[in-house]
Amino acid sequence: MNHSQFCGRTRREFLWETGAGFTGLALTGLLSADGFFDNKASAGEIKTKFVNPLAPKKPHFPAKAKSVIWLFMYGGPSQVDTFDYKPKLYPLDGKTIDIKTFGRGGHKNEGRVVGPKWKFQQYGQCGKYVSDLFPNLATCVDDLAFLHSMYAESPIHGSALLMMNCGRILSGNPCLGTWVTYGLGSENEDLPGFVVMLDGKGGPISGPKNWSCGYMPAAFQGTVLRADATPIHDLELPPGMTQEAQRELLDHLRQKNEEHLAERKDNTELAARIASYELAFKMQQHAPEAVDFSKETKETLELYGIDQAKTAPFGRKCLLARRLVERGVRFIQVYSGGGHNDDNWDAHTDIVKNHTFHAGNTDKPIAGLLKDLKRRGLLDSTLVVWGGEFGRQPTAEYAQGTGRDHDSAGFTMWLAGGGIKGGVSVGATDELGNEAVEDRFHVKHLHATILTQLGLDPNKLTYFYSGLDQKLVGVEGAEPIKQIIA
Amino acid sequence: MRALLTRRWFVALAAAGALFLGARAGGPAAQEKKPPADEKVSFEKEVAPILAANCLECHSGDKAKGKLAMTGRAALLKGGRKGPAISLDKPEESLLLLAVSHEDALKMPPKTKLPQKEIDVLTRWVQAGAPWPDGVVVTAKEKERVITDEERNYWAYKPVKRPDVPAVKNKEWVRNPVDAFILAKLEAKGLTPAAPADRLALIRRATYDLTGLPPTPEEIDAFVKDKSSDAYEKLLDRLLASPRYGEKWGRHWLDVVRYAETNGYERDGAKPFAWRFRDYVIKSFNDDKPYDQFVKEQLAGDEMPGYNPDAIIATGYYRLGLWDDEPADPELALYDEFDDIVATTCQVFLGMTMNCARCHDHKIDPIPQKDYYRMVAFFRDIPRYSNTRNTSSAANLTDITPPKERAPYEEELKKREARKAEVEAAMRKIEDEVIKTMPAEDQRAAEGLDRPLVVAKLPKYWTREQEKEYDRLKKELATLKDKPVPARELALSVNKCLVNPPATHVLLRGNAHSPGAQVEPAFPTVLGVPAPKIPTPEKDAKSSGRRTVLANWVASKDNPLTARVIVNRLWQHHFGRGIVATTNDFGKFGTGPTHPELLDWLAAGFVQGGWKIKRVHKLLMLSQAYQMSSKANDAAMKADPANSLFWRFNMRRLTAEEVRDSMLAVSGKLNLKAGGPSVYPPIPKEVLAGQSVPGQGWPVSPPDEAARRSVYVHVKRSLLVPILSQHDQADTDSSCAVRYTTTVATQALGMLNGQFSNEQAAALAERLGKEAPNDLEAQVRRAIRLTTGRTAGAEEVKRDVAFIKALQEKSKLNDADALRCYCLLALNANEFVYLD
Repeated sequence: MNHSQFCGRTRREFLWETGAGFTGLALTGLLSADGFFDNKASAGEIKTKFVNPLAPKKPHFPAKAKSVIWLFMYGGPSQVDTFDYKPKLYPLDGKTIDIKTFGRGGHKNEGRVVGPKWKFQQYGQCGKYVSDLFPNLATCVDDLAFLHSMYAESPIHGSALLMMNCGRILSGNPCLGTWVTYGLGSENEDLPGFVVMLDGKGGPISGPKNWSCGYMPAAFQGTVLRADATPIHDLELPPGMTQEAQRELLDHLRQKNEEHLAERKDNTELAARIASYELAFKMQQHAPEAVDFSKETKETLELYGIDQAKTAPFGRKCLLARRLVERGVRFIQVYSGGGHNDDNWDAHTDIVKNHTFHAGNTDKPIAGLLKDLKRRGLLDSTLVVWGGEFGRQPTAEYAQGTGRDHDSAGFTMWLAGGGIKGGVSVGATDELGNEAVEDRFHVKHLHATILTQLGLDPNKLTYFYSGLDQKLVGVEGAEPIKQIIA
Repeated sequence: MRALLTRRWFVALAAAGALFLGARAGGPAAQEKKPPADEKVSFEKEVAPILAANCLECHSGDKAKGKLAMTGRAALLKGGRKGPAISLDKPEESLLLLAVSHEDALKMPPKTKLPQKEIDVLTRWVQAGAPWPDGVVVTAKEKERVITDEERNYWAYKPVKRPDVPAVKNKEWVRNPVDAFILAKLEAKGLTPAAPADRLALIRRATYDLTGLPPTPEEIDAFVKDKSSDAYEKLLDRLLASPRYGEKWGRHWLDVVRYAETNGYERDGAKPFAWRFRDYVIKSFNDDKPYDQFVKEQLAGDEMPGYNPDAIIATGYYRLGLWDDEPADPELALYDEFDDIVATTCQVFLGMTMNCARCHDHKIDPIPQKDYYRMVAFFRDIPRYSNTRNTSSAANLTDITPPKERAPYEEELKKREARKAEVEAAMRKIEDEVIKTMPAEDQRAAEGLDRPLVVAKLPKYWTREQEKEYDRLKKELATLKDKPVPARELALSVNKCLVNPPATHVLLRGNAHSPGAQVEPAFPTVLGVPAPKIPTPEKDAKSSGRRTVLANWVASKDNPLTARVIVNRLWQHHFGRGIVATTNDFGKFGTGPTHPELLDWLAAGFVQGGWKIKRVHKLLMLSQAYQMSSKANDAAMKADPANSLFWRFNMRRLTAEEVRDSMLAVSGKLNLKAGGPSVYPPIPKEVLAGQSVPGQGWPVSPPDEAARRSVYVHVKRSLLVPILSQHDQADTDSSCAVRYTTTVATQALGMLNGQFSNEQAAALAERLGKEAPNDLEAQVRRAIRLTTGRTAGAEEVKRDVAFIKALQEKSKLNDADALRCYCLLALNANEFVYLD
């Protein structure tokens, strides 16, 4: 048996893994010589060769989506109160029934039903039932593809977040955004290729592990971006520094570095480091421009709900997401909810209070984002993903109250744009919305779908580490969800 | 063929996984009516083995032969192309029974008829309605992995034999045998080695390589001026004797053993006393502890006789990995923890990717799946890190207080603790009773950190009897707690190990819920070592003794891998890459050695020399190969651009720790205090904002403590210090054998605008002001000297002074800001962060 054929392993993985002597940058140079990457990055005025690890690369096959906006409803929105209409659940409200559930409260064989707390109505040409939690988003259903039969391997936040982001419940693996930027690079070298926007209440559980590059080089990890004047950490000039002085500094530094390089011309790392300062300078100029909404019309701001206190924070992030897509950023993740308990969608005690709050904060901005992308012709090439790390059980967690425990056995997510069919719903949970029973989709199928729309073959996008050809979708591979692909 | 089979097994597992999950929570919908179970046939014991051994290899997955999957009852009833395999109405006419009878055209299994006994089992089973219990997964039985002679003869598995030193033409160039091995290959290719490095490059290289810090201008002067023939050797001796040496080389070891001080996941709680392990490693390197002893202590220090606190601390090795305190599937989590230990141990000590054989035989290397579980069996006496969410447990802490101090207290303490536990349990019982009568919000809050707040509300709900009893207990507890407790020294370690560990089974397809054949501890089959005899534990044994057997084998001179793997790591950190570049993987997936004879020569000498590491440092660094310049020549660049033959020295960027430590050293702020609990340098609030509770687990240290060496910075899995993470510090979730060197714009942003680099620039400016008051030129000269070791050229000084003046005049910076800006530049220069 031919080993290199067996695992599709080539020089590229060897080099990545051995690291020493070759940097990510020098390496991408070698890789492009292999014809593996199509790189067109240059370093402005700098004469020395520089290859940005995030330079755009050719996909495996023509891509339908260029960018991804992942709206992450951290904490786990309840499927039966949002998009998974279960009429039989209403009359059972308050009744204790036999039902097998598994949440943070452990395995249970019976539970007190909490009937859905919102009415559902039909919307759009597809006649999709949506709860009254999302009056604005409901008007977009003809653009959305609902996955009602998602399941994941853990009903515990920490491991479930890791699974949703990185494909496995174990820590240490690269997340989807890392895989995407590793596979495709990013179109705009003046901005990070993979950005994460957090809720004002804080990050999700495990924080940066959720946008971690795991065993891959740090170049592919997510950069936290804020929708305010200093969008990126370390972007602001330090006290006592002016822009002119910094330009002076950079010019002088470059001169020194180029003199140093002159006798070490063969070392591409040194050239790369010189160029990285120019990129940093450009990032300082371009990133604030990306978050500058002064040229947006009043109508646009209102469309995102930025004119109202309740919706402004998430609205700003959604608008920034669109602006980043316009600027060629590859992967954008926006968190709704942060920290712990009711600061996110984790409605353990009072579903009405919790979901009213979080849906109220996000409904208009998300609808605005979808409509804005559409009217600008961006929705076709932008894949929008909505969902949490799991859903919630149809039954109560405690003897009293309307809180629901976690449910990873069946939950709803939706996708839109980027070559995804609109107005479709696939898969189903049982009649109480507890467990996926028809066309069950594991998280890896969602990941496979996203990669496929970006032109990456989920079963061929590999990275050699720890003796294995690692894949986001796992060693067994996974197929995309064909039913929703246009 | 294997690949094809394997693929089918994969698919079988995918389907099985779904089945398993499906069985978990069958909702009220679509519950299938079960046939009555026939007590006479046991599906698991009788039927499943027949299916696994004879049917499932072909009849499973989406490429099942004849479209018949035999992976479940429903699949059998549905059947394949030829119709249902089992008929419930007329069991005796079932296709399955017809086929196994070999009486019809369709004969299954095709080649050999099943023994009549097995046919009878299947017949009885089908007649009973083919019961298949929920959740039972059956997969094809794996074929025994046959290891060929060729595989056994693979270089890494053969005994180390010290090869002869090769003859070379240019004998002048050879300073020690290392050079002969290098030069022989260069001469064979017609390449010339690079010229010797200059004195400055050499002292900078050697000082960083051995201590991770820049040489001071005074040290440089002393070395450059020392014309004695052994000046360089004296330099090496000084550096090897420096306590800074252990801090540098200990860090390399901490990388490979995935050293972190927290557990990861949701709470990412701190591991108690993890720092003792770090100090143990540093001390071991500083003391030049023989490597075989170092290995044995980490693998089985708890099984060593007598009072040996270092050996106990060493077993913290097992406790450094990830630990999920709230796993969704505890059984799976248990095996994930064993996997962490097996993967780390085999990669770190043996250069074997044993972890690839968890679910199936290793795809390339001759490692059967059984070998993986035999290795697990060695560790089976180690209890879980903790059985509660508490990050401290009896299983992960050991009292290492000297016996003399400990004895008098112990008895008293035991009694006191027992009573305390009783009282607390009684209080908790009352609390729980009362909480049950409280609203849902309170009940939920009571489960988490807010429990004290809920407990505070008890008086609103309790009865008078409850109140009275609770108050009495509370008083007693307070009294118990107020009694002075003797100071104890605790160490993160393994403890409460099992003298008689449970049986270890192969897990079919790696599924924690599908145990297969039982295995006993054994070494990798390919090495042809007889199965070890595990001595019967002594009466007072505290563990199974298995790990001592493992440790003795790993650290034996006959082990073909151990010495090769460690000398390769030593080479790696001196020459920029290992002789085997994949230092954790000596298997066929690895890169293979560029200089196999040299590797063996070093390994053999290492063992003969008593496993002493400092001796190897000196040997390698005294070679001409180490003292070469990094300058390129055209012929060699063309013939060997990757420098795989070591025709020149490899330039390198400073490691993350070296970048930070050097900035502190140059600014004059570095605090060289060694050892003890870790420190917490400030982290900007924008970075803390990424945590679910910003700032949690990061109590910022005072400035002088925060300025200690990076090896003493708290390693929190979910929160990294920006200056370190930006420069590719080790990922701690698994063994990190090779650091990346990545260069991206956000790294430059951190160096230019980041809080840490600007603070150090300010401190350096202050230092210059003190060391060369009111003399800008002298300040510039000093800055260049401190950051590069070099004496500045006149032209260079002129230009730098002009730059500072321009900042003042053109950019209107005040004098102090202008000098600070210049210092920032000096810390950003490539010459500062690159060696050579």
